[in-house]
Amino acid sequence: MNAVFAAVFVVSAALFLLSDPEAFLPALLAGSEKAATLSLSLLSAYCVWLGFFKVLEKSGLSQKLSRLVFPAARRLFRSDDREALTLASQNLSANLLGLPGAPTPLGIKAVKRFEKSGNRYASDMLFVLNATSLQLLPTTVIALRVAAGSAAAADIVLPTLIATLFSTLCGVFLLRLFSKTPPHSRKTPPRPRKMRARLHG
Amino acid sequence: MKYFALAIPALFLALFLFALVRKIRLYDCFTEGVKEAVPLVLSVFPYLAAMLMLSELFERSGLSAALTSALAPAFRLLGIPPEIAKLVLLKPFSGSGSTALLSEILAQYGADSYIARCACAAYGSAETVFYISAVYFAGCARKSLIKPITIALFSNFSSVILGCLLCRVL
Repeated sequence: MNAVFAAVFVVSAALFLLSDPEAFLPALLAGSEKAATLSLSLLSAYCVWLGFFKVLEKSGLSQKLSRLVFPAARRLFRSDDREALTLASQNLSANLLGLPGAPTPLGIKAVKRFEKSGNRYASDMLFVLNATSLQLLPTTVIALRVAAGSAAAADIVLPTLIATLFSTLCGVFLLRLFSKTPPHSRKTPPRPRKMRARLHG
Repeated sequence: MKYFALAIPALFLALFLFALVRKIRLYDCFTEGVKEAVPLVLSVFPYLAAMLMLSELFERSGLSAALTSALAPAFRLLGIPPEIAKLVLLKPFSGSGSTALLSEILAQYGADSYIARCACAAYGSAETVFYISAVYFAGCARKSLIKPITIALFSNFSSVILGCLLCRVL
């Protein structure tokens, strides 16, 4: 991240210096203004969803639901941290449902917990899943196409769905390929996971 | 589309009824959750601000345009129409920027043209990788995020290629 930030910043600043030095500061200010307004809209979305998720948690429903996906989530994230896995699987379901603003707070919390226990693989996995788009229905795209007067706005769904499924699978595969099994998951009794770890490790 | 709109209110209704049956103090519980929103936004804010300033610089300095024209031949080779190259480059940095760009492309080339369909597939199958990494790893003492970011960028890019290919066939 530091490298990307430095590279893009330095090259852009140099370009501004050569072409239009007066536009440099306005560009920065426009960015920070966007951050300020975006933070406010994020805040309002987080209020709704964090309230919702607290009720979900306190009512005991969240634990019930997570028990269903627990075995799969455990394998996927190579973690035994029940709370982090619950957060992560809720993040994934919120993504699949396309609930705007809902996945982020869950994802941040889950990544924090995974990182605290030193399980980088799990936080990388959650990030890759989120960053390769899991949304089932590209609602924004459909709305934009309808607004632009498309005759068949929904005919984009199938190619998009296939492509996004491919990107997610590709991301998961590459991450598995380039990751070692975290040492603490080796403590759990032998299961097929161990063989896979040896294959990729 | 209609049943999809039902999902969210139904979700809330089902959960709140369930919580009431379980004798949860709804108001206290809901506000307890809301309390976490401000610290969460504050913890993300510095990374968000830096990221958005960077994406603004990237676009306004002409760097994005220069990269677009430099990469256009390579994109054409991979089956990505050069008209959407800018969208593909901008998407990892900025969600709102690429949304604006997508509606421009839709208006310019017509919503049902091949280019517009490719743009939609590219937009829908890729994500704002840098933005998500800034937010999700906010406050984590990680030295390097090269591996997850590279993997995410590569996967997104290959899905754009696939999406453009599918638009031609489907």
